[in-house]
Amino acid sequence: MTLPSTALSIAGLRKSFGSNEVLRGIDLVAKDGDVISLIGASGSGKSTLLRCIPMLEIPDAGTVSVGEDSLSPTGGRLSRAQLAVARQMRGHLGFVFQNFNLWPHRTVLQNVIEAPLFVQNRPRAEAVDEATALLEKVGLSEKRDAWPAHLSGGQQQRVAIARALAQRPRAILFDEPTSALDPELVGEVLKVIRALAAEGRTMLIVTHEMGFAREVSSQVVFLHQGLIEEAGTPGQVFGNPASERCRAFLSGHFDRNR
Amino acid sequence: MDFAFLSGMLTQLLKGLPLTLNLGMLALAGGFGLSLILNLMRTTRVGNALASAYVFAFRGTPLLIQIFMIYYGLASFGFIRHGFLWPFLREPYWCGLLALILNDAAYTSEILRGGLRAVPRGAVEAARVSGMTRLTVMRRITLPIAVRQALPAYSNEVISILKSTALVSTITLMEVTGIARAAVSETWRAVEIFLCAAAIYLALSLLVTQLSAWAERRLSPWQFGETP
Repeated sequence: MTLPSTALSIAGLRKSFGSNEVLRGIDLVAKDGDVISLIGASGSGKSTLLRCIPMLEIPDAGTVSVGEDSLSPTGGRLSRAQLAVARQMRGHLGFVFQNFNLWPHRTVLQNVIEAPLFVQNRPRAEAVDEATALLEKVGLSEKRDAWPAHLSGGQQQRVAIARALAQRPRAILFDEPTSALDPELVGEVLKVIRALAAEGRTMLIVTHEMGFAREVSSQVVFLHQGLIEEAGTPGQVFGNPASERCRAFLSGHFDRNR
Repeated sequence: MDFAFLSGMLTQLLKGLPLTLNLGMLALAGGFGLSLILNLMRTTRVGNALASAYVFAFRGTPLLIQIFMIYYGLASFGFIRHGFLWPFLREPYWCGLLALILNDAAYTSEILRGGLRAVPRGAVEAARVSGMTRLTVMRRITLPIAVRQALPAYSNEVISILKSTALVSTITLMEVTGIARAAVSETWRAVEIFLCAAAIYLALSLLVTQLSAWAERRLSPWQFGETP
């Protein structure tokens, strides 16, 4: 049996907004098939970390690698050549936003085939077939011709997941995928993500759903003030955290949910 | 009421309609092109200042004065009178059209700017993160959304510019209003004649309103509870 290779790696990542240093040197590796949950208080930098991977925020220092492509931006800027590499990297990632961010002027199906057609230049028939299968997978085949505005939040987020899958990504990044949803809609989205984990998809998930993180992750990473404070298996991090801050964060979280 | 006179006058005024439409359409086309350039300029600091100054000047002064400045004013500059554009700039048609284009561009650029600003940031981020080039994001996501947002405001501008063509009658152009003014000075039947002219503009406005409603429905069907 061959060992899984590295899908995504981050080394020495730093990012400031003005005088506020949000990430202060992050190292993280995701092997193929890893499901890594990023947890931490708001302001701990977990969303910024996730957004730095496809260069939605451009790091001040450090290296991000996705598959063969690697970028080490300096000074929060990308050169023209680096931007081309960034686009290549983005093509190998799927990104799911907190607020879904579907394109309002395109139908569900059009949202899903947009990148395959206009980024990957795949034949339309093939893209449509694949999109149809993906919509079935997220349980929305009957909505393929609906407008995003006519869907519930949970349905929109499932379309966004199908859209991310349509890029055939090496890894999928989820930025608090259920935080904008009504409580009764959270389940249907988590169910889809859970199924992806069972398929062996590589995923990084920023989440506040502790129960879900515990159940689905191969690794849990706790961020505090821009640094990784604690990392390990869900059993370690949730069961017996070494860090006092992590312990405090988790007990606060579980108390609130009780 | 003298219906024979009214219908005769209407026929006469309709002879000015091609010129009214010609000026209106070309002003809108030229104004739209120029407004794209003005919005592109806004991406740089100096360009932004220039575009703001342009909009301030052309939106802040009466169109009638702009027409007079171009038609009567440009001739007082020797370099223009001897320049290669003089064959155009001495013609009232080109002066009127130029004033309409410059004025329309100021308004249209603001309408387009509003549309671009109303494009949800998340939609653009989703496009960028899918690996699209900047041009593809603009072509497939940003502009289509911006145009949909700007459409209702733009239909106002279309109606406004069609009516504004009436002002070029002051520099001898015989479009609908020009013909009407000439007819009034011959017959002194101002009410009937201007009523006929107004009816023509009203019909044009109605047409634009219908077209814009149709376009809105076609481009943004989800806002009307329609499924594709």
